[in-house]
Amino acid sequence: MRIRTRTEGPCQVIAVDGSADVTNASELRQALLGAIEGGARRIICDLGCTDFVCSDALGVLITAYLKARARGGFVRLADPQEHLRDILKTTRLDHLFEVYPDVAAASARP
Amino acid sequence: MPSSSPETDSRSDWTEKVLPTRLELIRDAEPEVLGRLRELGYSEDQRFAVRLAFEEAMVNAMKHGNRMDPALHVVLNYRILPDRIEIRVRDEGPGFEPHLVPDPTCDENLNRPCGRGIMLMRSYMDEISYAYEGREVCMVKYRKREGGSA
Repeated sequence: MRIRTRTEGPCQVIAVDGSADVTNASELRQALLGAIEGGARRIICDLGCTDFVCSDALGVLITAYLKARARGGFVRLADPQEHLRDILKTTRLDHLFEVYPDVAAASARP
Repeated sequence: MPSSSPETDSRSDWTEKVLPTRLELIRDAEPEVLGRLRELGYSEDQRFAVRLAFEEAMVNAMKHGNRMDPALHVVLNYRILPDRIEIRVRDEGPGFEPHLVPDPTCDENLNRPCGRGIMLMRSYMDEISYAYEGREVCMVKYRKREGGSA
């Protein structure tokens, strides 16, 4: 897994490339929670190049979502590919997260 | 449909691995299983499903079963047949009652960070059962041929 961070307008974009599995979920946690602790409130998780997400990684996304929301912000998901969309639907996490087709759409919404 | 028959339920079909409780070892065990599925023509969707369920089972065994005690082991048994893969993962923990695990898809549980491993295994595999008071999970995934039949 490789994590890339960039700024897009008022949002911090955290792109997760490759597989977010149990062996590296802590890196994802550090990136997301580190951003929130550092003051980021509007976070977009770019999943366009994410090919695998385990339940631990889903837990990290949820924790980040709750922390950001508690501080008046958000964690939005952008561009999940077919397998990830299926996982989000199966777990019903598509009812928890705002899911957008791409980063631009996720950042355009206030 | 039974997951095995007398003529195919030979112990020689099975591969057994005994792994210490170390999460990084899960990644080492995966390629062998997934590579064999690829060789046998299992689809990309099926290999993804098996990978997800396999990892969730191993993580559950190490984290919730063995409580990450490095002195305890996880026993992985699997066999790959032309029509299905069977995976058994057993830990050395106290066991548990799967039906008591809260449904993570209920509205009141949606924002809980934990508890999705079992439902993912159930959703992505065709059969799942437990033995040894919950210490062993047994999973089957059938190879679907084009057109959707097993």
